[in-house]
Amino acid sequence: MIKLRGIRKSFGRQEVLQGIDLTVEKGEVVAILGPSGSGKTTLLRCINYLEKPSDGTIHISDFSLDCKHAGKKEIHALRQRSAMVFQQYNLFNHKTALENVMEGLVIVKKLSKDEARKRGIQLLEKVGLGAKLDSYPSQLSGGQQQRVGIARALALEPEVILFDEPTSALDPELVGEVLAVIRRIAKEGITMIIVTHEMGFAQDVANHVVFMDGGVIVEEGPPSELFVNPKEERTKQFLKRYTPEFSYSI
Amino acid sequence: MEYGFDIAYVYKYVPKLLSTLDLTLLIVAGAIGTGLIIGLLVALPRLYHVPVLRQLSQVYVSFFRGTPVLIQLFLFYYGLPEILKLIYIDVTKVPVLYFVILTLGLHAGAFISETIRGAVIAVNRGQVEAAYAVGMTGYQAFTRIILPQALAIAVPVFSNLVIAMLKETSLAFTLGVMEMTGKAQSLGALSQHFLETYLSLAIIYLIISILLERILLVVERRLQRHMRRDTPNRNWLGIRRWLPLRRLTQELNLDKKEVPHYEA
Repeated sequence: MIKLRGIRKSFGRQEVLQGIDLTVEKGEVVAILGPSGSGKTTLLRCINYLEKPSDGTIHISDFSLDCKHAGKKEIHALRQRSAMVFQQYNLFNHKTALENVMEGLVIVKKLSKDEARKRGIQLLEKVGLGAKLDSYPSQLSGGQQQRVGIARALALEPEVILFDEPTSALDPELVGEVLAVIRRIAKEGITMIIVTHEMGFAQDVANHVVFMDGGVIVEEGPPSELFVNPKEERTKQFLKRYTPEFSYSI
Repeated sequence: MEYGFDIAYVYKYVPKLLSTLDLTLLIVAGAIGTGLIIGLLVALPRLYHVPVLRQLSQVYVSFFRGTPVLIQLFLFYYGLPEILKLIYIDVTKVPVLYFVILTLGLHAGAFISETIRGAVIAVNRGQVEAAYAVGMTGYQAFTRIILPQALAIAVPVFSNLVIAMLKETSLAFTLGVMEMTGKAQSLGALSQHFLETYLSLAIIYLIISILLERILLVVERRLQRHMRRDTPNRNWLGIRRWLPLRRLTQELNLDKKEVPHYEA
């Protein structure tokens, strides 16, 4: 279970997160929606301390961290409990697909190379890249790179996987393959927090949807409620742009 | 004595000068080796904004970039023993060669530190973030993710520095080191055929430079193999096999007879 309490973050004078409380149950898939500048990506990056929150506490299962007095060791311990999938993939450019997945297992989890290799091949096959083990990121398409990114995150067996707009940098034809992989692993009961602009996907995959604006959580609830019956005016206004009055799908 | 250009001297002197090539290469290797270690150590405080050390490394870089190598050699060779004398360390028996290697190493270090600094900055910020997100420590992220990529970026500039260093070793003769240029001086003085001597000297420097260039190109390709999108033809010291010929042999079905081919 992940519990965020009173997370605050300022860039200079501007407070981009104004005290966020969020609870994510084990095995839950949470989608965070909101306009750009609403603080959703910053919130996600605070959970693994890529962004240093100015206040608040982060609990991941039995581990908790007070953001005001966090030392190097605690930050390191926090990061080992999560994994992240980046908008720009951020694969290690000088390593092959397989090495990308193995890196964390060997260096951080201290697995032997053979074990790591076995696990790496297994995971890359799972995301449909069994034939690309020895390709460098520069030789892969965006969609393929992102799937390696997902395999790399899965390999660490974290308490939670954080997805930071995983499909925003992809061209529309490649979005599908990445979403399909995320959808598949969501069914396996891995806890996930996804920042996304793919409304249909969020509605379909998430158990819990959070709508953020201006550094606060405006509204949250199960997708069946939030998408169909939003309570707040701001949510309605935002969703209207994404879900037209009538659908074009057959 | 009447002076006439005699090409025979050029041929004659090349092997004689080559006999001192090992010393020249030793200076290059020593200076670049020292420079790499110093360069990395000096680049780190500036990259990680370490308070006092950062200013010190800036002063160091300014000095060695801003003064001629020749002057640096003189200052170190004549000045360092005087300073060390004050703290009762006698270095008058230390061979000149060590002074030369130390000074050129410090000189190279200034440039290498800037090269490394630039290359590290050029590595995408997302790479560090990914390393942290995977759970690596700062040290692991630097040595396993940042440094290898920075080196790949730095090799072309580094190659320049190595070749420049080869030529700067020629200044060692001013302190009486008998490396190639020193040898050429004495050969020229002996025979009074200076022009021929320097011609053979120039030829040797040129050939060594070209060889170094080729070797460094192989290193560059190796370090940058992840940046290429295709799988290139194998080549040796940058010499590409002649593609049209290969295609021709393929079209003539020569490879049906199991002609050995050397695909990477």
